[in-house]
Amino acid sequence: MLEINAVRKTFGKVDALKSVSLTIPEGQMVGIIGRSGAGKSTLLRMINRLAEPTSGQISWNGQAVSGLRGRELLRWRARCAMIFQQFNLVPRLDVITNVLLGRISRHGTLPSLVKRFTEQERAMAVLALERLDCAQLALQRAETLSGGQQQRVAIARALMQEPDVVLADEPIASLDPRSAIQVMQALRAINREDGITVICNLHTLDTARQYCDRIVGIAAGAVLFDGLPSELSPEMVRRIYGVEGDDASFDESATSTSAGVLVQPVAQFAA
Amino acid sequence: MILRPSDMGASAIARARTLSPGSFGAPFLQRVQRWLLGGAFFILTAYCLVLFEMSPLRLWDGFGKLVQVVGQMFPPTAKGAALDYAYAMLQTVAMAFLGTVIAAVLAVPLGFACARNMVPRWIVRFVFRRSSDVLRGVDQLVWALIFVRAVGLGPLAGILAIIIADTGTLAKLYSEAIENIDRKAIEGVRASGADPVQTMRFGVLPQVLPIMLSNVLYIFESNTRSATILGIVGAGGIGFFLADRIRTMLWEEACFILLMILATVYVIDWMSQRLRARITGAESTPALH
Repeated sequence: MLEINAVRKTFGKVDALKSVSLTIPEGQMVGIIGRSGAGKSTLLRMINRLAEPTSGQISWNGQAVSGLRGRELLRWRARCAMIFQQFNLVPRLDVITNVLLGRISRHGTLPSLVKRFTEQERAMAVLALERLDCAQLALQRAETLSGGQQQRVAIARALMQEPDVVLADEPIASLDPRSAIQVMQALRAINREDGITVICNLHTLDTARQYCDRIVGIAAGAVLFDGLPSELSPEMVRRIYGVEGDDASFDESATSTSAGVLVQPVAQFAA
Repeated sequence: MILRPSDMGASAIARARTLSPGSFGAPFLQRVQRWLLGGAFFILTAYCLVLFEMSPLRLWDGFGKLVQVVGQMFPPTAKGAALDYAYAMLQTVAMAFLGTVIAAVLAVPLGFACARNMVPRWIVRFVFRRSSDVLRGVDQLVWALIFVRAVGLGPLAGILAIIIADTGTLAKLYSEAIENIDRKAIEGVRASGADPVQTMRFGVLPQVLPIMLSNVLYIFESNTRSATILGIVGAGGIGFFLADRIRTMLWEEACFILLMILATVYVIDWMSQRLRARITGAESTPALH
């Protein structure tokens, strides 16, 4: 169980997050929605400790994560794998090595520098790639892959960490619709089949509704909504996305990435 | 159903091996090839060490004499010639400056002419590339010796040597920068109806200018260092004094000159580094932890 307790984060004088509290049971798939700059990424980065909370506490199964140092901290980072919007693979390394990187926190620094991985780990990497439909790409350089393939390789790398939690920061924001579906299905599969907790930042509400057990809506650094997808009302959606009350044309589809949705004519052309 | 290494029994490993044999290490022949190459490299290095009698004993011997010389260098003194030295130092920096500026300008057309994406006709490119190779392939010092014969002792020979050698070097660096630019911007400019020269001016130059300037600054830094050597062959500047004081074993004065050179190089390095960071808009990269 992941407990986020009154976590606050300030950058200079700006409050990125003001006192956020969430309890996420093991095995849940949570979608965090909100506008760009609402504080979604900051929250994920603090769970992984890529960023430090200004105050408040984050703990996993009763153990405080926010206090970890040194080896312990690296161990924790390995246990909550991160998926990035821009995939963050090492472009010049081949796919199999990128996937095996998920194991390095379990090796000593020196042996890992000469790529000494066990036969079991290599087999595990190939089978993880196969599960994500990428086994045939194992020997290609990561930079030669399409975006959707790269993101699936990144998920395979995350699986190699044997994570308790996968944190996905806008995992489909740079992908075409078909690849986006494949990546979301892969995240759903590791959540369902492996029991891994998945916390996923998403721009688009329809994706969150379709794939997540629970939706958390964040606006201006505070949690506005926390509940089932079915409980999310159009009025609440407007508040989360900060739409003025009189803008009747705004609805859920406006947050969708699918083409053909014109929210309103651009002013200068309409005039 | 999460996979763990302990779940990888013989059958799982066998399946993974058939799925992607290459993931379990390079093929046998490739591995043999790597070992052979590594071995050859090692033998060549060892052979060179033997050839030049780089024995630890000789190094130790030389080290002893070096300590002696360094001992004679202190305290460094100018013996009343400080102003002469300062003037010569200034001359060296001025030589490097003038030479670099002229080379930087001359290299622009040459750099464009050597770039594959600017000159599609390979024979034209070939001629320009080989001529820039000639300029660059002969060392600055050799050019200096030639120009001392041609125009006589003094800074002019040094400046000419810098211009000739660095025009070649910078043309090469420019052309590489030009070849690596983003094609999209060029397409955008061309699509609005620009002619080839306009395309170079607005599609190419804004992209490569920061890289060119950064290259020029680096060459200037490097030239303030190497311009010292030019003086030693009589091509003007502080190097003349340094060579003379070493030849006559006036170690204290040689040391004074060396320290002066070090201070100058340091100041110029520092200034050009700050300038370069500004030009290229130095990006901040995240720390490693």
